[in-house]
Amino acid sequence: MRKLLFFLLMLFSAASSLYAETGADPNEIGKLKQDLKLLKSQFEEMRSSYESKISQLESKVEQLTQHPAAAPDRAVEAAQPSQANLGRYFQNFNPDISVIGDFTYHGTDKKDDEQYNQFKVRQAELAFSASVDPYARADLFLHVEPNGGEWNIGLCEGYMTLLDLPVQDLQGKIGKFKANFGKVNRLHLHALPWVDYPNMLTNYFGEEGMSQPGVSASYLIPNPWDKYMELTLEAMNNHNDVSFAGDQGRDMVYVAHLKNFFDITEGSTLELGGSLATGPNDDGHGKNRTILEGVDLTYKWKPLKEGLYRSVVFQNEALFSQKDNVGDDASGRKQVDSWGAYSSLQYQFAKRWSVFSRYDFSEFPDSSDRQDNALSGGITFAQSEYCFWRAQLKHTDRNYGKDSNEIWLQCNFGLGPHRKHEY
Amino acid sequence: MKKTLIFLALIFSVLPCSYAQDKINILTTTSDLKSIAEFIGGDKASVDSLAKGYQDPHFVEAKPSFMIKAKKADLFIRVGLELEIGYEELIIDGSRNRKIRIGQLGHLDASEGAFLLEVPTTTKVDRSMGDVHPMGNPHYWLDPLNAKIIAANITERLCKIRPEDAAYFRRNLTGFNRKIDEKLLEWKEKLAPFKGEKIAIYHRSWPYFINSFDLQIACELEPKPGIPPSPEHLKRVIGTIKQENVKVILTEVFYDEKPARFVAERTGADVVVVPNSVGGTKEAQDYFSLIDTIIDKLVQGFRS
Repeated sequence: MRKLLFFLLMLFSAASSLYAETGADPNEIGKLKQDLKLLKSQFEEMRSSYESKISQLESKVEQLTQHPAAAPDRAVEAAQPSQANLGRYFQNFNPDISVIGDFTYHGTDKKDDEQYNQFKVRQAELAFSASVDPYARADLFLHVEPNGGEWNIGLCEGYMTLLDLPVQDLQGKIGKFKANFGKVNRLHLHALPWVDYPNMLTNYFGEEGMSQPGVSASYLIPNPWDKYMELTLEAMNNHNDVSFAGDQGRDMVYVAHLKNFFDITEGSTLELGGSLATGPNDDGHGKNRTILEGVDLTYKWKPLKEGLYRSVVFQNEALFSQKDNVGDDASGRKQVDSWGAYSSLQYQFAKRWSVFSRYDFSEFPDSSDRQDNALSGGITFAQSEYCFWRAQLKHTDRNYGKDSNEIWLQCNFGLGPHRKHEY
Repeated sequence: MKKTLIFLALIFSVLPCSYAQDKINILTTTSDLKSIAEFIGGDKASVDSLAKGYQDPHFVEAKPSFMIKAKKADLFIRVGLELEIGYEELIIDGSRNRKIRIGQLGHLDASEGAFLLEVPTTTKVDRSMGDVHPMGNPHYWLDPLNAKIIAANITERLCKIRPEDAAYFRRNLTGFNRKIDEKLLEWKEKLAPFKGEKIAIYHRSWPYFINSFDLQIACELEPKPGIPPSPEHLKRVIGTIKQENVKVILTEVFYDEKPARFVAERTGADVVVVPNSVGGTKEAQDYFSLIDTIIDKLVQGFRS
């Protein structure tokens, strides 16, 4: 009993001292209030978290008990997410593989032309594309092309893009790739809006443009207008034999391209590009050089709502060349200044149908006296996203030879998940 | 004193900027994801979308200006199921924003855990089937219960990105879910008189909506997904509509109305043009008014 009394006495004295202490320190009360608030907010957070989890489970249960009313004539059924990925696991590490076939009939009134009234599989493109690792992706494009009675396979492009460089907004590319000069040089045959490449490109870069092994770096230039401005610098082998040195070339060709992009309205855009390429055109390590300047301007109109059925692309490029040739003056050199350009208009008037026209003017890197003037027109029928048919007429007026009239009928088809082309 | 005042003025002028920068930048592919992300993110997120509600979400182009938007994003949210296969990779690669690359915290596939329909069960999907999505029909946002799952996915990701605001995002999720529950009752009540009704559709954007509100699909104007209607197919559609007594042909705002009108003239069915995404029409301002708009127009169609 005495022990109990003693214990009670101690308890009361402790309680009173506690009261006295708390009463004496208002900060302590504030702290307790804060703790209480924190507990309340934690409780609220837990409650809302459980509520959301419960509601998710409820919605799942509700969905599972509903009878799915999907159309009965399809080989499809509702599936859990785990099933949704089934069947793709085995192929996950394979690259995306696609094949594109390009078949043409080419009629011409030039009887000496090797293309004279011929059916031709111009090209079969095999494309492989995948991420290499978290830092890079790679794209390879092999072209199988007829060469007389035989077929040649070659690497049109094969490069790795470094996506995650330590410098912000910088990307790199190594391998063989199409030079970033203007717009059309980067396009593969099947991606052209016409059957053939413009004369400007074939006269200055060869049949399929300039594609060489090299390195490339591109940088998004920060600007106060928040616009897309991309600068690309490239160094590539000097093996282009039309404007540059050809197979014997030992020096590099350097290419620079600045791409500016503007949204005019939500359905129309303008792209303005400037390009520069320079390199020796002999094996003389810079004695005879070629300098090329390019300007490209592309306007696109595609209203968002009606965009499946209506669109316009107005694409223009000009190229100016200054090429040192062997001359008979004191320096032994002679500079040839020449130029070429094209202007193209495409108009889509229905979901599957579009028409196009193109005007070409082009001189040659070695002669500004020889000139091509050509006018083309045609129509494209897109059977689907993966197959199109095209007819094109072209009249070429040459001041150095016989004029020509040509007709092409083209069918282009693609298999597999080909990576989409740039805008 | 003057110096102190200038200093204070500077501090206060900088404060709103730093506060604005403090918002999480979210970039969604579609306007529906944008709307849901706005509910969850509230005033702690700034949300933008690539596609507008009145354009076909399958055919968004990878404009370089989108890369600039993606460059600034802290979180990129996609519908998934390969709806964005034509442009997502180009935009993300072109943006040079490593935060939003696939597999990173800043990249979210909103379809994670969603209830999916039309996942092909055949061993192989090919293009003879039209534009079939091998992982399932991607129009799952038109099921309001899937909207809850999208919202939960966004919430969880925002909580990971900004743990200090987790309670705020979760409270917004609770509010969103509560509103879906309330509206679901209202929507179901509106469509209750038409339970089991068969409708014709242009594209298979609608199975999730149909499934949610106990309607049925009689036929589609597209012979196969993504393939434009042919005269021969429309003849079959006219036969089905007459045979099944279909009253409504449902089509999206961005499709050519001519085939639907052609069929309607020959069958007496009503063409109902509706948005399938937020912003598709002026009334569809957010996710709730989107479903409101679809249901109101559908009810009008059934009644007329």
